[in-house]
Amino acid sequence: MTVARALWYYLWIAPHLLLVVILVVMLVRGLHRLFPMFFLYTLFEICQFALLLYTAFHYRYHSNFGAEYTRFYSAGLALSTTLRFGVIYEAVVQLLRNYPALEKSGRSGFRMVTAALLLLAVGVAASTPGHVTSGLLISITQVLNQAVSVLQCGLLIFLFSFSRYFALSWRSQAFGIALGLGIFASVELATSALRLHLGPSGNNFLNYFTMGTYHLCVLIWLFYLIASGGPPSYNSQDFSQHDLEAWNLQLQKMVKK
Amino acid sequence: MMTLVFVSLAILALACMLLLAKGRVASTGKVEHLAAQLRSVDVAAFRNLIDPGEEQYLRANLPAAEFRTVQRERVLAAIEYVSCAARNAAILTRLGDAARHSPNPSTAEAGAKLVDTAIRVRIYAFHAMATLYWGLILPSPRFSPARITEGYEQMTRLVVLLGVFQQAPQGVAAAL
Repeated sequence: MTVARALWYYLWIAPHLLLVVILVVMLVRGLHRLFPMFFLYTLFEICQFALLLYTAFHYRYHSNFGAEYTRFYSAGLALSTTLRFGVIYEAVVQLLRNYPALEKSGRSGFRMVTAALLLLAVGVAASTPGHVTSGLLISITQVLNQAVSVLQCGLLIFLFSFSRYFALSWRSQAFGIALGLGIFASVELATSALRLHLGPSGNNFLNYFTMGTYHLCVLIWLFYLIASGGPPSYNSQDFSQHDLEAWNLQLQKMVKK
Repeated sequence: MMTLVFVSLAILALACMLLLAKGRVASTGKVEHLAAQLRSVDVAAFRNLIDPGEEQYLRANLPAAEFRTVQRERVLAAIEYVSCAARNAAILTRLGDAARHSPNPSTAEAGAKLVDTAIRVRIYAFHAMATLYWGLILPSPRFSPARITEGYEQMTRLVVLLGVFQQAPQGVAAAL
């Protein structure tokens, strides 16, 4: 087995083994109740991997191996992408849960951004031609993947900007999940555009790159799910006597008005 | 060409996310240094700056060109005040967030109220900044400062209350 082949198998198998670890960590720490959609997504990714692995070994000498594999891969990608939207929505809900003042405006802002990005994604899908030498299913999959990546990148940037503007504190797990998804979505956006441009000739390098990125994202998820997600600590000396006096003075001025 | 656009967009999106995430990671666990970053906002001076009566007076008594210059300076100063109030509100959201996890129920309650009010101030500040900047470009509907100043006043009261809970012995805090 060549080094490249070994690396290929490592990048294909290792992230999914780590996903099994994530599943166990979530069950042990009760995080599956807090992030049910992410739990489902992880479970689905593992099942999809098992199915693709079986297909790869079972059909490897069949003449229709490529077609079978592509069919399973495309169907899995569609379901996985749908679940990723669920995970993003879950991160939004988690973020807003502790801030009643923001729940209404946050959700309506999220809906508005989603609608705008959806229009953009439809425009992207409609204006992107598939690659002539790729199969029809592969072309459609890549075009849709590109459109969906635009949508997911936009939603995650909105989510990060929103939490940054309002200085909201995320549970560290929700932050890690969103960060991993964000990195993966942006890399998917670039690689799907390159795949559509290069066709099958660029597949090999892009596959390594996507798989490597996915491995990194799984490690990010694992790190944040294991790390403590406790609230920020409160130091009773946050306000010095001087700060308190300054604010009190300010208050007195206001009351006098 | 389209490929280049999408690849550039992807790199930009990735950089944007990493930058925003870096800010979050860097700000975690430094709650104790936040109070020192608060800046005082003179609400009375801010009210005066955006007082429609004051504006009318200046319009009536100054030549048109001079009024436009003065008004521009006033709007820029108001923007500075609003951004300062918004910055304080962001800091107080984090302080309030930490305080609401305090084992002391009074502190936790004041912390929750502070978070709520600070977020409202931040929302009002966002609207106010948009209106003020728009007013610099085109004459716009008059900006009403009531919500932001009231929110800021409420926030100040809560900061003082929270400070008292911290500084005062438990018995005094309970009596407040």
